[in-house]
Amino acid sequence: MAQQKSAGQIVKDGLWLDNPVFTQVLGICSALAVTNLVLNTMVMSAALVFTTALSGFTVSLLRNITPRRVRMMVQTLIIAFYVILFDRVLAAYWPDMSRSLGPYVGLIITNCIIMGRAEAFAGSNPPFKSMLDGFFSGLGYSFVLLAVSVVRELLGMGSILGIPVPFLSSPGFDRWIIMVMPPGAFFTLAVMVWMFRSIKKRGEQKAGGGK
Amino acid sequence: MSIKDKVWYPILFMFGASVVFVSILVVFGAFTQSRVDDNKKIAFERAALEASPATLPERMGTSQIHEMYVKVVADSTAETAGALRYMIGDSVAAYLLPVEGQGFWAPVKGVIGIAADKSTITGISFYQQEETPGLGGEIVKKPFRSQFEDKVLAVEGPAIEMRAVSAELDASSVHAVTGATQTSTRVGRFMNDQLIQWQKRMGVR
Repeated sequence: MAQQKSAGQIVKDGLWLDNPVFTQVLGICSALAVTNLVLNTMVMSAALVFTTALSGFTVSLLRNITPRRVRMMVQTLIIAFYVILFDRVLAAYWPDMSRSLGPYVGLIITNCIIMGRAEAFAGSNPPFKSMLDGFFSGLGYSFVLLAVSVVRELLGMGSILGIPVPFLSSPGFDRWIIMVMPPGAFFTLAVMVWMFRSIKKRGEQKAGGGK
Repeated sequence: MSIKDKVWYPILFMFGASVVFVSILVVFGAFTQSRVDDNKKIAFERAALEASPATLPERMGTSQIHEMYVKVVADSTAETAGALRYMIGDSVAAYLLPVEGQGFWAPVKGVIGIAADKSTITGISFYQQEETPGLGGEIVKKPFRSQFEDKVLAVEGPAIEMRAVSAELDASSVHAVTGATQTSTRVGRFMNDQLIQWQKRMGVR
């Protein structure tokens, strides 16, 4: 039996070493779709953290009674349950944000990170550790998305969280419309992945004695 | 042979799990249904007031919006051709015409306010849209909407025309949203279709 990860290792893996976006390259579709506004990205990230953590917990809780042959159907059911719950909470208590995010919240169901964590971790680990793993994988996804959204909103709209930024929001600065559009997300995400991987590699080389 | 190895177990398990999770969602949905319906109603009422000549405070709570709406907006009649009436005292001060059509991604719904002269636009507001944030989504923002105020509905050709940002404007035209040609074209198309239809029914075209 494989050795179980410690809580500290789960945190480090989710946030950095095994980051879902720049190491595993998962969840890219939504990373491209919602990152043109920082506020939308924050809410989307909160939805993903909520869903990954709780679906991991539930999948793990049911792991000993879930038949192996239908485990992925059960995982999808659990993930869809939490996503619909979050979507409904938004529609009832934050209607403006619900309208703004539109179909993207529903699409969290298809996010590979959640299914990936359920299959790779929650199916063979205890509930609390699975929740921790989901939570920090979600946070790892969130911080990369936030970095992308800050760049896109700044250059594309001249604002952060809708608040105009001096110079970038002035008539003298031509807003980079492409940053608000899907190609802007591809460029920014690619640069971010390259940047984070380089930093990670440098850290690993230092730890390994500078080889 | 444990129960998990029985042929029927996966089916029973899947069925049971579905019943449990769906039941929770049904109960939660029922619990929040009235709130969701109220939010949709308030979104429409806010849009109607924004399109009307009324001056709205910077921040308005949902109860304030509803109270004001009930006070100044009356239902449509056969004489208003589907437009709600914005009342000052006993007289109609403006018509509030609900419009809707297909945007770039999904249906767009809004309200156009037209003064009692059946010609001057008092305002425009959208309460449902799923256009690209930062591009087509700009139709809900003040800079785009405020262009329509005091514009005159033409009685020939398009009632209100959307032109490229570099083009000059006249009394019946506004600038389209930069970088959102599809949204601008589609919104302009359905707005014009419904405005022209309304003008004909009101006998001004």
